[in-house]
Amino acid sequence: MALLEVKDLQVRVEEREILHGLTLTVNEGEIHAIMGPNGSGKSTLSHVIAGKPGYEVTGGQILFKGEDLLEMAAEERAAKGVFLAFQYPVEIPGVATMNFLRTALNAQRKARGEEEFSTPDFLRKVREVSKSLNIPQDMLKRGVNVGFSGGEKKRNEVLQMALFEPSLCILDEMDSGLDIDALRIAADGVNALRSPKRSMVVITHYQRLLNYIVPDVVHVMSKGRVVKSGGKELALELEASGYAQFEDAA
Amino acid sequence: MRGDNSSGEFYSIAISNGFQQVDSGTKMIHLGKNTSSRIISKGIAAGKSQNTYRGLVTAHRKATGARNFTACDSLLIGDKCGAHTVPYIEAKNSSATFEHEATTSKISEDVLFYCIQRGLSQEEAVGLVVNGFVKDVLQQLPMEFAVEAQKLISISLEGSVG
Repeated sequence: MALLEVKDLQVRVEEREILHGLTLTVNEGEIHAIMGPNGSGKSTLSHVIAGKPGYEVTGGQILFKGEDLLEMAAEERAAKGVFLAFQYPVEIPGVATMNFLRTALNAQRKARGEEEFSTPDFLRKVREVSKSLNIPQDMLKRGVNVGFSGGEKKRNEVLQMALFEPSLCILDEMDSGLDIDALRIAADGVNALRSPKRSMVVITHYQRLLNYIVPDVVHVMSKGRVVKSGGKELALELEASGYAQFEDAA
Repeated sequence: MRGDNSSGEFYSIAISNGFQQVDSGTKMIHLGKNTSSRIISKGIAAGKSQNTYRGLVTAHRKATGARNFTACDSLLIGDKCGAHTVPYIEAKNSSATFEHEATTSKISEDVLFYCIQRGLSQEEAVGLVVNGFVKDVLQQLPMEFAVEAQKLISISLEGSVG
């Protein structure tokens, strides 16, 4: 069943059209990789799906579990199971990570009409998840991402992904700013979250990340469109030949 | 601070909203020897308001070894408000050590979007960031009072975003 359907999406930022009719279907449980050169619209796509302000959708639609995603407020999308792992997670000074996680998780549960977690239940859950991701408890006491290394920030994103249990995870250039070891830890965390009920969209420039998170489908984006789709071997092909061949096709 | 070796502390949170003009602060007057004082002031400006911190720190001629540390942090919510810091520092002897730090930051769209993507409403997101901002002052308060103060802050800022 299709979890996410992007149909002929056209998006503008300040009068400039960035996406010119992008179509993409992600089925339940699938992992899709989106590759493409800088400025091809990969991050724009992730922002529009998550509902970041500043983008004007001029045409097309996005369906999530059959519902019109563009009609929903960004926090509503989060509660429905859309999760965006940021390329550059922000720092929130003075707000302990633990407090942030709890506030966010309970806001989502409340929006879904579920009961909020009690403190002991929540602590148990966080401890369990953070242990599996090798996140020390004292990291959770620090301000959200304040003074975190690149690897810690990305692990914190994966931690939230594990905690909120979204049905769609969009990973926006998760490999940026990570060394090989940090990348492997983050990727292992992501792989542990693979499930037949959860889909992922992995946005990246490089094939390297896809060695760790192996996709079912690879899409190549250029100039605001998907210009080619294929299996995981397409990523290897790209690594060898570069993006230039697709620039003309778009 | 009249007695030798005495000390004083001042912690404040000043909030301005709407068209308010807030001008607040404190005075630390060092008279005795080796006196020390500390000022932590947090200013939050929203709407079309102007928020000013104005503080005097002075050391008397005989107040040798006087020390002061002042930190003034301002947070802007929206782009129509302003924050100002006006320190008055008068050291009448050469052994006084006065330090003044000031920062001004704006709640960025990126921080808000990050919180909203994790399920918070715009208002909840602002509340969270503001609470983080005033945390080191609220920490100085007794527990019951800190809870009240936190609520008061969110009430004062109601409707200031969006």
